[in-house]
Amino acid sequence: MTRTLLAALAATLMLHGSATAADSWGIEFEEVVREKAKVVDLLCEVTGECAGNCGDGSRQLGLLFDDGRLVPVVKNFDIFAGATADLLQFCGKRVEADGLMINDPQMPIFALQFKRLAPDGPWSRANQWGKNWSQANGGQAVNQWFRNDDTVNELLEADGVFGIRGLEPEE
Amino acid sequence: MRYIASLLGGAALLLSAVVGANAAATPERISVTGELIDTWCHVTEIMYALGTAHHKCAIWCAVGGIPVSVLGEDGTLYMVLKIEGDDRSVANDRIIRIQTHQVTVEGDLYVRDGVNYLVVNQVADDHGIVNLTHEDYGIQPFGE
Repeated sequence: MTRTLLAALAATLMLHGSATAADSWGIEFEEVVREKAKVVDLLCEVTGECAGNCGDGSRQLGLLFDDGRLVPVVKNFDIFAGATADLLQFCGKRVEADGLMINDPQMPIFALQFKRLAPDGPWSRANQWGKNWSQANGGQAVNQWFRNDDTVNELLEADGVFGIRGLEPEE
Repeated sequence: MRYIASLLGGAALLLSAVVGANAAATPERISVTGELIDTWCHVTEIMYALGTAHHKCAIWCAVGGIPVSVLGEDGTLYMVLKIEGDDRSVANDRIIRIQTHQVTVEGDLYVRDGVNYLVVNQVADDHGIVNLTHEDYGIQPFGE
């Protein structure tokens, strides 16, 4: 498990910015895939409750594949970040998604590493969340965003790392 | 007249096809008790992802926009798409502030392609964080 995490972190931190095909992270049930699909707003797709432009980044997005499968895209290539910022620009459009299809019986999910507008748009790494965060935070490097984010720090200072006020790690 | 009726009939068929294509499945009203968890860490088992040991990471992931799910007491996972009328499921401040809590929620369940999508109509009970895992698993994932 630790080896898997280290491999994933290494892939995230060391290969950040390079333009290659998706890397395996050694996750159980994963399959490295490059496949075309339509980008959809999950709430709209499953309940019929739709919003303009897929919710403008406030809603989770998914991939609707040509065979009718709907898969939530839960992760991008930035550490500890989701993929909505990467897919929002393609709301309602077909993309070529390059990443990890994780066919876990608990919940099938997709981790996006690269994306492009189908059929032949330019490839880009799925790290838009980090770019947005950096821009909103005075150009700070994104690789340690989780230690420098105001919302995160406010919550952890209020409730502690365990989420229970007064419960602190032993020295 | 026959032409107009035919035209209207065709339009009605077309309309029903469009509506049908976008029609959502009928949900099942359910009540679930479980822990709010980070979907990515839990599904991939990339680290230990429950309770106090994982709370810090679960906050990072929720703020980072990864979907939050409810892990039911029977091990079933439900991805939250909406909570109490609020359709924001990316870094929703309400959800972030109850991350890792043991909750009982009532909502509408939509099952599609192996994923349980949950529209939470009401957080009926919030027990706070009760899963004390840090003594066994420390602070995930970096130990500090």
